Amino acid sequence: MKLSEIITPERINLNLKSANRDGVLEELVKLLHLDTHARETVLRTLCAREELGSTGIGKGVAIPHCRSLVVSEVTVAVGRSKKGVSFKSIDKRKAFLFFLIVAPPVGAPPGDYLIALGTVAQAARLLAMDKRIKKIRDVRQFMKLVEELGQ
Amino acid sequence: MNPQLRVLIALQDILLLLRDARDPDQRKVLGKMGLKIDNLETLEATKADLEDQLSTSILGEYRRAVQRHGRIVAPVIGSVCYQCFVRIPSAIDCAEDRNTSLYRCENCGMYLYWVDK
Repeated sequence: MKLSEIITPERINLNLKSANRDGVLEELVKLLHLDTHARETVLRTLCAREELGSTGIGKGVAIPHCRSLVVSEVTVAVGRSKKGVSFKSIDKRKAFLFFLIVAPPVGAPPGDYLIALGTVAQAARLLAMDKRIKKIRDVRQFMKLVEELGQ
Repeated sequence: MNPQLRVLIALQDILLLLRDARDPDQRKVLGKMGLKIDNLETLEATKADLEDQLSTSILGEYRRAVQRHGRIVAPVIGSVCYQCFVRIPSAIDCAEDRNTSLYRCENCGMYLYWVDK
């Protein structure tokens, strides 16, 4: 599985405005284009997941994730915050690159969810280390960078 | 959406999160990615808060179903109940009040939630 296979341009926002964790989660969930109730459900589950331990994996990357009944397939949304947001990351640094993963409880084997998480974690680290990630201006450039990195 | 269905779905998501968080294999995999899991007691508290929002009769059904099947709501995708994989009768599947009224699968008894595709 490659990152380019599980992300779509309409689920990428390279200009996140929020200055805190909950705001970022809300902006990311909006990218999933769910109805209001489904959005609230996913947000609640994501916040519960964050309470278990931050999904900020360091190096400026956070991967909020959960499984929820309200989606029918593994869905990924990408966000970039130019200023960075405190996400209680393991290295205590602000996160600026976010990958939201929401997977269904059934219909897709749990393995798919973990494979998607692994794919995203690997690609996210590579992207965060590439200086171009902070300079790219549109989704097309982002997708091109993902492909150039072989992800 | 039906308020009780909304609570049941939220509860089911929390149960799933709890199950994943307790699975040693999954914890190991997530740990390697830098994703730590602690504070399970906060999740138990969230679960208890949600259970308090269920009516007495649904709470009883929820407890029985979770004990037996590990869940109480099944997604409906493509007119099929994803608990028992039996097709939902079209009269229910096409009902205008699906998700706003409580419907159950005639075969397995799960509450049904129609997932938008």
